[in-house]
Amino acid sequence: MAILDKFSTLAARYDALKQSGSDPFSVKFDDIISSVEGVVNGKRTVLFGTNNYLGLTFDPVAMERSIEAIRQHGTGTTGSRIANGSYKGHEQLERELADFYGRKHCMVFSTGYQANLAMISTLVGKDDHLIIDADSHASIYDASRLGHAPVVRFRHNNPDDLAKRLARLKDVPGEKLIVAEGIYSMLGDTAPLKEFVDVKREFGAYLMVDEAHSMGVLGQRGRGLAEREGVEEDVDFVVGTFSKSLASVGGFCVSSIEGFDILRLAARPYMFTASLPPSIIASTISALETLRHEPQRRTKLRANSRRFYNGLKDAGFTVGPEANPIVAVILNDVAVATAFWKRLIDEGMYLNLALPPATPNSSAFLRSSVSAAHNDEHIDFAIELMTRVGREFGLIPDAEPDYSNVTQFPRVSAERPAARASIAPARRREADVGAGMA
Amino acid sequence: MTEEKLALLSEISDVLKAVTSKDVELKPGMNIVNDLGLDSIAVMNFCMALEDKFDISIPLNDMASVVTVDDLADTITTLRSNA
Ligand SMILES: Cc1ncc(COP(=O)(O)O)c(C=O)c1O
Repeated sequence: MAILDKFSTLAARYDALKQSGSDPFSVKFDDIISSVEGVVNGKRTVLFGTNNYLGLTFDPVAMERSIEAIRQHGTGTTGSRIANGSYKGHEQLERELADFYGRKHCMVFSTGYQANLAMISTLVGKDDHLIIDADSHASIYDASRLGHAPVVRFRHNNPDDLAKRLARLKDVPGEKLIVAEGIYSMLGDTAPLKEFVDVKREFGAYLMVDEAHSMGVLGQRGRGLAEREGVEEDVDFVVGTFSKSLASVGGFCVSSIEGFDILRLAARPYMFTASLPPSIIASTISALETLRHEPQRRTKLRANSRRFYNGLKDAGFTVGPEANPIVAVILNDVAVATAFWKRLIDEGMYLNLALPPATPNSSAFLRSSVSAAHNDEHIDFAIELMTRVGREFGLIPDAEPDYSNVTQFPRVSAERPAARASIAPARRREADVGAGMA
Repeated sequence: MTEEKLALLSEISDVLKAVTSKDVELKPGMNIVNDLGLDSIAVMNFCMALEDKFDISIPLNDMASVVTVDDLADTITTLRSNA
């Protein structure tokens, strides 16, 4: 039909990808066994593509509280908070997040995507200016289209370029909002926030940081990059998501700016969508408590990230610039990356295949995310497997490191020791979990 | 075409060549995406290089309405005269 004709190029590219024997955009999990293990095509698979940084998706306390919340308050709110009212849980979660970040205000949204849509499209109006990093997440780009402010991009992580663009707007009236991310979701690199803060001060702009991938990951208390860099005072708005470290779904914005709450009556992606259901609120509150009270998860996550990053780097792969939980192996050829990705799936390792245009410079990435729930066995298995396949593909030099002390395959995790899905017929086949690429 | 416009087109093609190593003689009616064979990322890099060259910022919303080389030249001219 004609209405879909405009997708013919995309469809042809997708067909070509499928012809090559793999379809990275419709991975089907037969089952999910733990935060870091699942079953794909009947094979037990170690998960390295989840964003499940703290390993809390099966946290027993969060699960119990979630179930209890359903019993007490039902399965859904069936409406938006503006039209249908707030539950106590929404307000409690907002208070706890504001407290965690040491800010006066918090607004909770139904997804992290909507948090960005709502905040960015509403904070700047047609007479203001939005200045975003060129490698921003899709939600930031989409927000820029929903709003009415002119949008200017600066070169990725480049404070001088940012300054240059603000200098051009120096005598132009209107407020300026700069948007950057804590950890970038494709390469795992962090923003030079201290330098951005200098620029922001020089030009009197506002600064928003999306800590989606850095909340629970960076900083002494897990508040993210702004905490680690010691610049929280200068970050006017922090946005984040519950779908990564907090292991549920939803998003938020915290700020101490006066008059914040008026945004509840102005931000359309807050006003015109149903609020989060009680079960999600309950598990998120629980996960936030765990994040705050179990810093050892962050320590473990850091150690795991370093082990995995260094292992791949030492094997000769081109990796991103920093040892963060997002570890990207950069391959230039899409076909090679796709074949590599397919081999990993076939051999029991799942990670994300990131293809242009989601990647910078038309490169293709094997993008993994490390979890605090991985053990050394999982990580060494992944390094060994990727190294072996990388050598076979001629991507990295042949060396002879000693893997004699590495077991061939990780054992079943403790979270669902009864899971036998790799030998038993798969259950819950319909419960597919999308191959989310961040 | 005026002298000025010709000069501008030649500056634009220098930038294009520097960024994408495409050496094309730009004609006003050319479609930037189809005729120059640029994907969205190449357009973005091209755009940033133009911004540097002419010391302007081309807002994304302005860029969205740019289809032909002529549109691009007009947008640059307008932004430069506002600067
Ligand atoms: C940087 C960034 N911001 C926002 C989001 C959106 O979050 P959510 O998936 O919770 O909607 C994501 C990931 O999806 C992200 O990577």
